[in-house]
Amino acid sequence: MPNSSETPPEPLVFGKRLSLPARLKSFPVLRVAAIWEAFLVAVASLRQNKLRTALTLVGIIVGVTAVIAVVTIIKGLDQTVSQTFNSQGSTVFTVSKRPQVITSREEFVKYNKRKPMTPDDAEAIERLCTACWRTGVAVNSIKPAKHGDQTFETMAVRGIEPAAMFDIDGVAIDSGRFWTDAESESGSDVCVVGSDVVTNLFPNVSAERALGQDIWVGGHRYLIIGVLQALGKIFGVSRDTRVYIPFATYKKRFGVDFSGAAYAPQGSLVVFVQTPSPAELESAEDQVRAIMRNRRGKTFNEDDDGFALETQDVFLDLYSKATSNIYLVTIGVSAISLVVGGIVVMNIMLVSVTERTKEIGIRKAVGARRKDIMTQFVIEAVTVTAIGGALGVLTGFGAAWLIALLIGFPLLISVWSAVLGVSVSSVVGVISGMWPAWRAARLDPIEALRAE
Amino acid sequence: MSDTATITSAAPSSGVAVHAERPSADGKAAVLIAMRDIWKTYDMGAEKVHALHGVSFDVHRGEYLAITGPSGSGKSTLMNLIGCLDTPSQGQYWLNAKNVSDMDDDELARIRNQEVGFVFQTFNLLARATALHNVELPLIYGGIPGAKRHEMAKQALAAVDLTDRMLHRPNELSGGQRQRVAIARALVNHPSILLADEPTGALDTATSYDIMNLFQKLHEDGNTIILVTHEHDIAARAHRIISIRDGLIEKDDQVK
Repeated sequence: MPNSSETPPEPLVFGKRLSLPARLKSFPVLRVAAIWEAFLVAVASLRQNKLRTALTLVGIIVGVTAVIAVVTIIKGLDQTVSQTFNSQGSTVFTVSKRPQVITSREEFVKYNKRKPMTPDDAEAIERLCTACWRTGVAVNSIKPAKHGDQTFETMAVRGIEPAAMFDIDGVAIDSGRFWTDAESESGSDVCVVGSDVVTNLFPNVSAERALGQDIWVGGHRYLIIGVLQALGKIFGVSRDTRVYIPFATYKKRFGVDFSGAAYAPQGSLVVFVQTPSPAELESAEDQVRAIMRNRRGKTFNEDDDGFALETQDVFLDLYSKATSNIYLVTIGVSAISLVVGGIVVMNIMLVSVTERTKEIGIRKAVGARRKDIMTQFVIEAVTVTAIGGALGVLTGFGAAWLIALLIGFPLLISVWSAVLGVSVSSVVGVISGMWPAWRAARLDPIEALRAE
Repeated sequence: MSDTATITSAAPSSGVAVHAERPSADGKAAVLIAMRDIWKTYDMGAEKVHALHGVSFDVHRGEYLAITGPSGSGKSTLMNLIGCLDTPSQGQYWLNAKNVSDMDDDELARIRNQEVGFVFQTFNLLARATALHNVELPLIYGGIPGAKRHEMAKQALAAVDLTDRMLHRPNELSGGQRQRVAIARALVNHPSILLADEPTGALDTATSYDIMNLFQKLHEDGNTIILVTHEHDIAARAHRIISIRDGLIEKDDQVK
């Protein structure tokens, strides 16, 4: 092999062309021009292959629709739930034998060994708690209800005392009246019913006409003296299928579990405490805890209270605990369709690169660098996915709107999720366009020019 | 074709350009291409195939050169090297005082953009783009701003007498018109060399004659032209003919 000469042959003189400063000056414009060129080429190419573009768009639209619909629905549900559980305000807490949420069998066994709450406990709290405003007791169970040939198998029966418990429960009378103290103390067979009780047991009868009629609940007959204002549905479940009866009546008809038995179908007593304002809630809770520990004979070094003291926050906590993982999984599953969309884009881009090998060769021959070619194909991928993302956001909102309409909760359309949809799909475009673009960029110009 | 002169004179008269006009010591024009002992070797599995066996020659500014040779002679390989589409396996290649032998892909792209104007046998125009856009393409990658780019492309098209066909796509143009678009594209960036690979290979005789006349005119305007062809009557239009055979220069004749 011959050795190459290291000295340049003489003489060498510059040819005639743009001067170096002129070219340097144009340097910052270079990227803008190349990117704009890439965008125009992308649009032209997408318009050229309409069917291919449509299929690619569908792939992305489906993915973005799924994600946007899921996110929108979740936000709507969250709002519904927090509004529902906050309706009582943060001035109410309950004292009960066991918490409303039990997460393990061990806890269940432990709580069942506790003494049940009694009216005496409620009386003691009422008497001793200075930060408390008013107290009440309630006991619940599910009983079949009927009127004539109309039946409703899962009626929630709630025995309460005093009548202020209606207010603590956050319900208000629509027509008729609450019961009198005399009716409450004597254990009269009267009831105040939720609006859907009328709907279910008295078809085509107005609330006013239902007043003074009888219904049978759990084998006993009660006179309807009041109908409550509707609370509405949550997750499609009515909150207006309740029958309120006086506590004394409940105790007489169904009994209340004061035995501490493991299974108490008749329901056990829950004491409700309300403070004048949210500010007093904590001190009221402290006082009630002290009163109740004293009544249960707990010393300071014993961990277990022997009762459960809860605010409505437990529901919110439980809700977020239970749903946060479900949400992540749901969003994750719907994001898979976005990944599939990305693969569709990648596939189409690979086809596009193969089809346009000649074009790439021409561009390289006249001076396109690797990054120019790379930019061109990435921009093409991003253009199609961004358009798909924008359309997907619209159909996603549409789907969420439809579902919200069917289930019945507020629809929360946010700019944030629209921006998220378009940007996520654009990122998908960048990622899925990268590999085909890289293949295009490293094509040998001689080989590429030879392609047909 | 009265506008042709505008192409060659459009380059700004900087100090560098003025310097370029100065003839070299031996009275000849400046050396544009200097090839020294160029080898090109392809690795075909077990054996190595030498497409070029140490080729050396100079091309001066303003020359009209034809490279001929039968197929398989290394003619195409040499053209790819001259056009900076490829780099030699061994040897040195100076193009316009730049050693391009060791450049990477992107540096070569820059050189192709600034120094080389290609004219291909099959025109190699972008099918979906107008004639104007095709001519603008090198300027886009050269970073010339939009307004100036339009102006330069229009001038180049006027120089090949295609002003009225500016907004037509290649499939709306005849073969000769397409090749003239390609020539305008090759010239638009004021390259050091115009490199034409069988420029009349896809054209009928009459059109070929027109295109060759255009090259003649471009040469007279001062452009450096390198023609790669296997047709003797085409090569005969050049002023110097280099014949390649088996990867070596067989003959290097001044014709006129």
